[in-house]
Formats: sequence, structure tokens, C-alpha cells
Amino acid sequence: MSVLDFRRSEPFTCGVELELQIVNRRDFDLSGSASDLLPLVEKQLQSGEVKPEITQSMLEIATSVHRVHADMLAELRSLRDVVARQAERLNLGIAGGGAHPFQRWTDRRIFATPRFHHLSELYGYLAKQFTVFGQHIHIGCESGDRAIGLIHAMSRYIPHFIALSASSPFLQGVDTAFESARLNSVNAFPLSGHLPAVRNWAEFQTYFDSMRELKVVSSMKDFYWDIRPKPEYGTIEVRVCDTPLTVERAGALAAFGQALARCLVETGTGGLDADLYRVYGYNRFLACRFGLEAELVDVERREKVALRDDLLDTLQLVRRFASDASGAEALDQLAEDVQRRGSDSAWLRETYRRTSSLSDVVRSQCEVWQSGLRVLEP
Amino acid sequence: MTSLDFLPTFPLVPGDLALIGAILLVGLVSGELFRRLLRLPRISGYLLVGIALGPGALDLLDRELLATARVVLDVALGLILYELGSRLDLGWVRRNRWLLMTSVAESALCFALVYAALLWLAVSPLHAAVAAAIAMGSAPSVLLLVIHDERAEGALTEQALNLTALNNIFAVVAVTMLLAYMHLEYQAGVHIMLLHPVYLLLGSLAVGYAAAALTVLFAGWLGKREDLQFVMLVSMVLLAVGSALALRVSVLLTLLAFGVLARNRDQRRCLLPVEFGPAAQFFFVALFVLTGAYLEWKDLTLVGGAALVYVGARVAGKLLGILVFAPLTGLRLRKAALLGLVLTPMAAVAVVLVQMTTEIYPAFGAELGAIVLSAVVVLALLGPVAAQLAFRLAGETRQGAAR
Repeated sequence: MSVLDFRRSEPFTCGVELELQIVNRRDFDLSGSASDLLPLVEKQLQSGEVKPEITQSMLEIATSVHRVHADMLAELRSLRDVVARQAERLNLGIAGGGAHPFQRWTDRRIFATPRFHHLSELYGYLAKQFTVFGQHIHIGCESGDRAIGLIHAMSRYIPHFIALSASSPFLQGVDTAFESARLNSVNAFPLSGHLPAVRNWAEFQTYFDSMRELKVVSSMKDFYWDIRPKPEYGTIEVRVCDTPLTVERAGALAAFGQALARCLVETGTGGLDADLYRVYGYNRFLACRFGLEAELVDVERREKVALRDDLLDTLQLVRRFASDASGAEALDQLAEDVQRRGSDSAWLRETYRRTSSLSDVVRSQCEVWQSGLRVLEP
Repeated sequence: MTSLDFLPTFPLVPGDLALIGAILLVGLVSGELFRRLLRLPRISGYLLVGIALGPGALDLLDRELLATARVVLDVALGLILYELGSRLDLGWVRRNRWLLMTSVAESALCFALVYAALLWLAVSPLHAAVAAAIAMGSAPSVLLLVIHDERAEGALTEQALNLTALNNIFAVVAVTMLLAYMHLEYQAGVHIMLLHPVYLLLGSLAVGYAAAALTVLFAGWLGKREDLQFVMLVSMVLLAVGSALALRVSVLLTLLAFGVLARNRDQRRCLLPVEFGPAAQFFFVALFVLTGAYLEWKDLTLVGGAALVYVGARVAGKLLGILVFAPLTGLRLRKAALLGLVLTPMAAVAVVLVQMTTEIYPAFGAELGAIVLSAVVVLALLGPVAAQLAFRLAGETRQGAAR
């Protein structure tokens, strides 16, 4: 029996993982306090999960599995509040955002587990540079074949997820000119990119087994693909999103993933498209660099399309596939944000322009995370 | 000009400045040797050079030179106390009530145990009380230097900074209030007995407040320029130390108040966090070498037993208070125990407090010094080792820190 048996799960159910920044409240640099904060949060947790991540300055929260957006959002908010209360006891701040704007990666400490130490040894400085913060969206699938088909279909929308979530314009103290600089850190890993051109679960298993025999990987965890199957959960996992500045936005992104998946499956769109993968890397770059302003290459139509327009069309298209009224509302909110060019990255740049201090930017990030309101200070 | 008058006359007489420079260099080298050869904190090296060259031993750094260098000590300590004060986050102390409880408990238990132990050794109640009040404070210089050297950061580091700032405030205020009893003992008259401590407390607070208000104002005007704010801060610290000396209020309390108020009154966050950087190293070396010179080896041999009782009672009090209350703040028990270790060092502040009483009542100060300074020798030499070890065991040092 292969380790890759796909565990069936209820289609279009959804779960979210968020990697959060732990910062000190003095200069708002990253603080290596995960091992102090984790046990405090674990004791208070009603539902969901908290996990350590590779460096001591990251904390991952994970929701349970949800059918509808309203429940998802409620759990995200309660997780946020539990973490905030405990962080406050230790005088720590919690912030969203895909990357810390000014941390020096040389300062990071690796969380003491055998796997993380192994990764640190294998990847050297890449492991520490990987102190970036992403949102992972899990979508339930009834079979492995469905999962493979859905991954190929969703690949077309990777730029959309990137542009919607982009929240890492600053890195190592400078403006990178990227909307999402975080994904550049992911690109450095040899096993990043997209799922190979397999057509079904059986083909995927053959691929995986050969990679394992060649000792390139030992488990699914060693692939850093943008969307990867997660057979033990029975889900596909969209991994390109930056952690947004608020849990509300994170919930909306999940609602988008959920509605998009349902739309693609129920309208029978997608499947493996070799043409798409020819321009995949390039479109992905455009989305990281320009966000909503990107002009994507459309292989079918052999022309450029404005990501903003395509995104608005897509949001309109998938709206009727939303899980519930609250999900549809979240999609409308996203559309409104896209229209008025209000990305998290834009907000971060504007905050920096006002305060001219990246430390103040992170302080504002903490406030926004806590309040859920991404408004500019008067 | 007829002869070679422009040449120096022999034998050369090195000026005070040259001597102080040379002594600091020896201190620097000794600190590095401690780090490289013995893998011990540099502080122990600086201190030992101070003790060895000081009036108690080789007498190269004699009392006269020590008085000249006093200004360096005051400025160095001023900068350190300012930074310590600015690390105290009053908002956090308000939000996490257990933190304040921990602080009160460790300070109070420390005072009580040391006081009781000294009474048991038949020390007079007033001497015992002042010595116990001094015992409450942990060395800010040692803490900041070890944090600086190890680039420590984390929950224990944060609590250590806040607790040290608080216990130094308690210690300085308590010693100042005990002045009233000293005046009573030496029959100085009721008005002096009451007025002196009140003047010291209010005067220091006023100078500290003024300095903080000015600093926040300047910072807002200068903008977030690290280089400019650095110059401004050092100038303000000099100004505050100078004003405190001129007004004959407590330099320690003034600078602590300055730091605390500057950080906590800066609503618009104009002030950048202090990073004295390499300049800090200079003041650390100066501070510890000079502190060493004020300590005397004979103190240790003279009252060895009493010093050990003092040290034991102090460490027990702090550890007990911390072990009971720190876990309630959210710190794990193991880290709480290590936090207790971090708070053990005593150094310059204790020396300066003894000095203060000596200036007012020399006889009292001499007796007090015999009790306190011998303990400080022990805690200044072993404390940094304990603190460094604690940070490492707590996993709060950063890789590549040991340069």
C-alpha cells in the first residue's frame, strides 16, 4: 500500500492555516518567543490548533473544517483573540502580513524540532530566510482524481490569489517594488513551482514513488508547490497567499477559494492544460511584482489581460457558488477592494509614507490585526 | 626661545587623562582575555582589573584619580540607567498585574530575608535596613551588557529588564527614605530628617521629568533620524547627570525617572529605541573598571562569612519571589528559575548607593560598605557568569552572537 492513499473528504469544505508574526512591543522587530507563547495559547484553545513553525518568531494557527464562511470567520476571530490575550501577557505583538519589513534573517532562531533542524541543515540560509508568513487554504475533495483535476484547474487563478493577498512589499528594511516579495523566498527552494503534468491520482502516485525512490523527497511535505494535494486530509492546499493583515481578509480569501473550487467542479471547467503551464511562472511573477496592476498573458486568447478586470469577472462569476450569505458578502468586499485598489500592500506602503518608520508600520499592522479594520490613521 | 623648552622634561609624568586611558585599555584587554581564554563574560575581566589597580591593591588607580574619573562613572551609569528606564513598559505592567506582583514579591522578600539575616548576625537595625534596601536592586549594567553581548531576546529577557528597572527604583527610593532614620540616628534635627529625603525624591523626579519632556520634544522636532537622536540623547543624559549633581539630587533616581518617563510619555512615538551601539562598549568598560576600583579585595577576606550570608539571603529572597509569582505572568517554571539567576548580579548601583551614605555620614558609610561591598565583590564577579549561563540555558541568545 502506498502512503499516498487519498482520504475522501466532504467536497468544498474548507480549512485555513495562517502563519503569524510574533513581534516585541519595543521596536516591533520579530521576537523569538514561539516556544513561550505556544504553551499558553494551547491551554486556552477551544477549537482549532496552534503549531510552531520553522523559526521561533512564527506561530501558525489552524481552523477546524468548515462548510460555511460564517463559521470559518467566527473561529478565525476567536483564534485571533485567544492568541492576542496570551501574547499580551508576554508583552508580545501579533501581526499579519507576508513578511516582516525589517527583520534581519541572520537573527532568526530555528524552532527546536528534529524536522526543522534537518531542514535548516539541508537548506542553510534559505531556511532562515524562509521566515515569511503565508496563508494556506484547504479545500475538501471526494477523491484523488478530483484533487488532481482541481489543482490543474485552479492553477490558472494563482495570480488572482497572489494579487488578492499580497502583503509583503518590504523585506530586510527596503521596499522591494514587489507586491508580494514573500513568494521570492519560496522560489529559491528546489521543489517549488507547480504540480507536474499528471492527469490523475494513479499517475501522481507513480510520480511520487519515483521521486521517493530517487531519495529526492521522503514525504509530501518536501514539495513546496503553489497548490499541492494533501492526501491525509483529503484536500488540495493553496499555498501562494501572503497572510493578510486581518483575519477577515483571510476568511474572504478562503471563501473565494471555496466558491472558485465549487464553480470549477460544477461547471466542469479546467483540467490539465499544458499551455497554461508554459506561461505559469511568468504570470505568477507578474502578479507578485505588480499585484492588481499586472497584465497577465492569456494563452487561450493570445493577448494580455488586466488581472484586475479578470479578477472582478471571476469574483462575479463565482459569487453564486458562495457557501452562504456571509461568504457572498465576503466576495463582494473583495471586489470592492479590488475596484478601489485597496490591497494590503498598498496600505503598508501608505502607512510607511506617513510614518517614515518601518517599526511604526509593524505597530500599525498589530493594531489592524487586532481590530480587523484596515483604515488609515487620521 | 633659547633652550629646548618645548620638549617635555624627564622623567615623564603622565597626566590623569593618559592614565585613565591606559587603565581602560588594560581593562579592555583583560575583558577580551576572559572571553577568549576562559569563555567567561568580559565584565569579570574589567572588574578584576579595577580591583587589582585600585586603591585596595596596586594603587595605580588611587583615590585622587578615582575622584577625577568619577565623572566618567556618573556618565556611564547615567546612560545605562536611562536605557534601563526606557526598557520599563508601564503599559505592560498595568496590563499584566502579575508582573507587578512578581516585582513587589521578589523585592520585598529579598529585603526581608537580608534584613533578618543581618539582624541575626547582630548588625544594627539601621545598617541592616539600608544594606537590605541596597540588596533589592539588580545590576542594570551587568544585565544590559550581557544582553548586548549575547544579543539576547525573548520572554525572559523582557521580564528581566522590566523587573530590574522596577527593583532599582525600589532600592533607590528605599535607601533615600531610610536617610530619614540616618539623620535621626545622628541627631540632625527633625527638619533635615524630613526635608532631605523629600528633596531628593521630588528633586530627582522633577529633573528626570524635565529631561524626558525636553527629549520627547527634541525627538519630535528632529524626526526619526537615528544619528541625530543618538547625539541628542547622549547630550540630554549629560545634561541630566550634570543638573542632578548641581542640584545635589540623586543621579540614579533622576536618570531612571528620565528613562521611564521618556519612553512612557512619548505618545506619538517620536523617540527611537536607544541603540548606543559601539559607544556603549566604551562606557561599559569604564563603568566596570571603575566599579572594580571602588571594591576592595580586603572586603572579601575581612567579612567573608557575613558576605556569604548576605548573598545567600538575597538570592533566596529573589528566587523565592520569582518562582512563586513569575509563572503566573505566563513564564514557564524553568524560565522563571533562570530569571532568578539573571537578577543576582550587583555592581555599580550598589557601590554608588554606599558612596552616597558615606558622603553624608562617613562613619555610617564605612560600616555599611564593609557589609555591602564585600557581597558586591562576590555578586559582581559571579553574577555575570550566572546571568550569561541563564540566558544561554533559556535559549534566548542569538546564534553567532559569540564574536
